[in-house]
Amino acid sequence: MVHNGVVIDDTFAEAFPMKATRLLITAHNMNWARHAAVSATGFATSVIACGCEAGIERELSPDETPDGRPGLSLLLFSMSGKELVKQIERRVGQCVLTCPTTAVFAGIADGEAVALGKNLRFFGDGWQTSKVIAGVRYWRVPVMDGEFVAQETTAVVKAVGGGNLLLLARDTDAALGAAEAAVAAMKRLPNVIMPFPGGVVRSGSKVGSKYAGLMASTNDAFCPGLYGLVAKSELTPEARCVLEIVIDGLTESDVAAAMRAGLDAAIESGAAAGLLRISAGNYGGKLGPYLFHLHRLMGAAPPAAQGEAV
Amino acid sequence: MSVRLRLRRGPGLRLDLRGITPAALAGLDAAAIERLPLAQGRGVLPLAEFFDVRVNGEADSLHFEGDLSRCDRIGWQLTGGRVVVEGSAGDHAGAGMTAGELHIHGDAGLLAACEMAGGQLVVDGNVGDFAASAQPGSLDGMRGGSFIVRGNAGARFGDRMRRGTVLVFGDAGDFFASRLVAGSIALGGRAGAHVGYGMRRGSLVFARVAPSVPATFVPAISQAPVIWQLLARDLARHGGPFAELPSRRVQRYLGDLAAGGKGELILIE
Repeated sequence: MVHNGVVIDDTFAEAFPMKATRLLITAHNMNWARHAAVSATGFATSVIACGCEAGIERELSPDETPDGRPGLSLLLFSMSGKELVKQIERRVGQCVLTCPTTAVFAGIADGEAVALGKNLRFFGDGWQTSKVIAGVRYWRVPVMDGEFVAQETTAVVKAVGGGNLLLLARDTDAALGAAEAAVAAMKRLPNVIMPFPGGVVRSGSKVGSKYAGLMASTNDAFCPGLYGLVAKSELTPEARCVLEIVIDGLTESDVAAAMRAGLDAAIESGAAAGLLRISAGNYGGKLGPYLFHLHRLMGAAPPAAQGEAV
Repeated sequence: MSVRLRLRRGPGLRLDLRGITPAALAGLDAAAIERLPLAQGRGVLPLAEFFDVRVNGEADSLHFEGDLSRCDRIGWQLTGGRVVVEGSAGDHAGAGMTAGELHIHGDAGLLAACEMAGGQLVVDGNVGDFAASAQPGSLDGMRGGSFIVRGNAGARFGDRMRRGTVLVFGDAGDFFASRLVAGSIALGGRAGAHVGYGMRRGSLVFARVAPSVPATFVPAISQAPVIWQLLARDLARHGGPFAELPSRRVQRYLGDLAAGGKGELILIE
């Protein structure tokens, strides 16, 4: 399949079930909401060593937030609910509670309720008070700029992590250009984050390694520096730079929609801008329950139900 | 789909209507409802002695017609369904209710919503003393649900209340929210003497008229804009004196210092 001179591989991205929550952070102004959100979603690129994958979903205007202040919505994804709970407490406790003027609210109502302000309240050393408003409990913790308000719980839902696109380009500029355009298009969609720096990852990995105990290692089949050296390369001599975009979403159709938006944006720049091929990373389709076939995404067919190939 | 009970004339002695709830009447025909026992003084009389019964299908709502101001314990420990009193109610209206809805078009007597734990109680008229409070001798007052009084409230409103949301559109008597443990009470009119006497936690909102702040409260020097917006927006849904609250600036007083001081009086500037 070729679109605008770009070859779309007949392959699929393989994604996994995760647990996710959405948090709303508000502050006196967007500047301080952003400081808290950037901090709370820092060092959250991959569950391999960060504990969670997190990112800013979008900005919220004052009329979209519970307290009428500007804010941001964040999405956090972990491999288990237990790990997610730990990450929420650490990140909100160290990055939101600490940030001037912020407040934090649950961004998802339905799902398993887990602690948000429930344990952080003890920072109040007995001066904390709770307030139930319209059936929702909030904690008020006295801090040096007034009080920190946190909703008691947030909801954890099932989610999908690891949707991806591999962009194979003529050179660095072309690969960065296509990746930036794709990430910008994906960021306009709700319910997804691209957790890597700028949404883009250059160190795509394969399962396993020659070293015992290393679970993942560099994806040598897509490394241009190993072309001609490795037994089986996925590259052609023209493809000298490959970048990957990883997508985590609340549902399978959210991930599919983001992949489609990324495909469209990358294809739009086309072969003329140096993009040669679009592929996707998978493990043979046997590990992850969610398969996103690029050719089917490019078709008009709507996303299929969970567990089926898209 | 309702049961209508029309009180023929005001009972000579006070009449106890506990147990007459939509759940209890569900599935009963008019004849069975007419035989239900009602306590009056030391005696027990069939319901038909006092009420004309009309049944339209299953009883998920129950309407009382007439002046029931001598009928006590309407909606007592209500667990669901809808009860409407198209007139006034006696004492203990909605006491101990945990769910469902009780709407009194007229006034309610003493101890309305006392120890209420859930559901919604609306009184279009006035309520007597000790509304939203505790049963005599009990340590905990209202503990959940929402209670709306569109008229005035008597003395000791919300005594020992510990959870829930209450709005009084009119005035309140003395010792408003005395010994409050927690919860939120908003007042549209003026309050009597000694507001928040001995309150431990909780929030009292004075939407229009600032009360006389007792000496055991201290002015707060810091703002609480987030929780105020959350609370004010919830109160504003009810309109009337509360409609403009989210746009108003507030002055808070913290207390009662005689009882820990974690409560707050919220006065509109």
